[in-house]
Amino acid sequence: MASMGDTSPDVGRFARLQDQLAGYGFLAPWLIGFFVLTLGPAVASFYLSLTDYSGLNAPHWVGAENYLRIATDDDRFWTAMNVTFTFVLLSVPLKLLFALGVAVALNKGLKGLSLFRAIFYLPSLVGGSVAIAVLWRQVFSGDGLLNQALNMLFGYEGPSWISNPSTSIYTLVLLAVWQFGSSMIIFLAGLRQIPKDMYEAASLDGASPARQFFKITLPLLTPVIFFNAVIITIDAFKAFTSAFIISDGTGGPIDSTLFYTLYLYQEAFTNFRFGYASALAWVLVVIIAFFTAMSFLSARYWVHYDD
Amino acid sequence: MTEATMTAAIARSEKEVSERSPLARAFIYAALVAVSFVMLYPLLWMIASSFKPDDEIFTSTSLLPHAFSADAYRRGWNGLSVGFGQMFFNSLVVCILVVIGNLISCSMAAYAFTRLRFRGRGFWFALMLGTLMMPQHAVLIPQYVLFLKLGWVNTIMPLVVPKFLAIDAFFVFLMVQFFRGIPRELDEAAVMDGCGPLRIFLKVILPLSTPVLATAAVFSFIWTWDDFFAPLIYLNDIEKYTAQLGLRTFVDATAQSDWSALFAMSTLTVLPVFILFVLFQRLLIEGIATTGMKR
Repeated sequence: MASMGDTSPDVGRFARLQDQLAGYGFLAPWLIGFFVLTLGPAVASFYLSLTDYSGLNAPHWVGAENYLRIATDDDRFWTAMNVTFTFVLLSVPLKLLFALGVAVALNKGLKGLSLFRAIFYLPSLVGGSVAIAVLWRQVFSGDGLLNQALNMLFGYEGPSWISNPSTSIYTLVLLAVWQFGSSMIIFLAGLRQIPKDMYEAASLDGASPARQFFKITLPLLTPVIFFNAVIITIDAFKAFTSAFIISDGTGGPIDSTLFYTLYLYQEAFTNFRFGYASALAWVLVVIIAFFTAMSFLSARYWVHYDD
Repeated sequence: MTEATMTAAIARSEKEVSERSPLARAFIYAALVAVSFVMLYPLLWMIASSFKPDDEIFTSTSLLPHAFSADAYRRGWNGLSVGFGQMFFNSLVVCILVVIGNLISCSMAAYAFTRLRFRGRGFWFALMLGTLMMPQHAVLIPQYVLFLKLGWVNTIMPLVVPKFLAIDAFFVFLMVQFFRGIPRELDEAAVMDGCGPLRIFLKVILPLSTPVLATAAVFSFIWTWDDFFAPLIYLNDIEKYTAQLGLRTFVDATAQSDWSALFAMSTLTVLPVFILFVLFQRLLIEGIATTGMKR
């Protein structure tokens, strides 16, 4: 490159201009998308959150009113927060535990690893679809598969888990945990990175398998645990389809499955309160950003980086 | 991780197991089989139930129908005012366009980020990484208003056009990671032969990138096929529905009185994902393992 520039300054300048053109030419689709579909809308949605926009009227400035109403005068917001946090705080640890446990078991070098891996992964590939939510509705209904099985095995007559407000959220937690497969695969990849001679050395020193797990496996896996925890948590906050299908879009029974995203959807697209829904959206963004930032801050105390 | 190191790792850990007690091994096997059984049973039962008469669904946990009947598929296929055939076709069109859009726009952006020198590259790259973490909710409503003003609501444009603008930063990131692994000597040799950036992209980078392009294509297809939210807000007329929306409408229409037909259509909507899973299982699992991709 330097030799080209040496022949004549004009050629060098031309080459540099050509580089700029090529660079921005290839980046053009992304740049347009970034400004028109991401940055512009992000700014617009913050502005709309300070208005009473309904999609039909011109937006009127209302200042912080939407945010004040969210904080002080919106019972369904607090219900949605309650439901969402219950879901996140139950499903994230359970999913992590399952994914880690199964990955550690599979990593013992059993025959049939790839078959088990495929079986456990399949639910996370199909689990977000409408079909599986439909299936869940039947399985946990009063005369659904679960109660039939409970009746057959134990003679227990189960309630309708879906239409009972005190149990409905747990069916959704179960559906999320059922999809532990993709986290498990990331754990498996992480486990493979742990040098085997560390275990050999520990074995020679007489360390029990349990001790090896807590002293070698777990500490060396903390970066992967951290990564999975952050991704699963963000995913859990964004969950939508399962609750929508299971509750017919209502978040019922009596708002017991009113995920935050579902409430946001109702406010925006059934009640056409675009301004208010924009404020709700920004509150969600701040909550997710807060959780992510806290995870990163906490990481330095428990995540083990050796390189 | 390469196949060779993976095989070596497996071989080593197999040796480790052979040193374990047979009892422990049997216990782990039993637990894994039990968990697999519980996890897969609802799926298998759904497929089995789609071949059962309706009354049998609520009285039998068995995977084998007493009386095998494919009639539920006929009832379900024509169960709405618009046949499921139309909706599967709509889904297929959207998925194919999304795959094309993602492959073109994301590979272009990734090429610019990894191979071209221009002012502000680092800045834009940082912004692109920033959008990876951003929840879509923050931009949802203005995007909707924009598409409404453009007259695109109730068309597939809002589902497809953003994908031609590299809106799925995840795939950009995936391709950046892959392109970085392609030796620069290959580009430099092409420059010596007088190739410009476009020809290097088309003749050097893309042909060497089939693994990452395939991974992005399969994931794009599956995620778009399963997507429910975007079709829900953007498509209003039943003739334009995707299969997922059709299935949801079918739940309401049958009022869940025809479970076997509902299960038949559920099975059909899962089938394409299942087929892709069987065909590209290794690609999907490696894609997740190396990048931490989620879904």
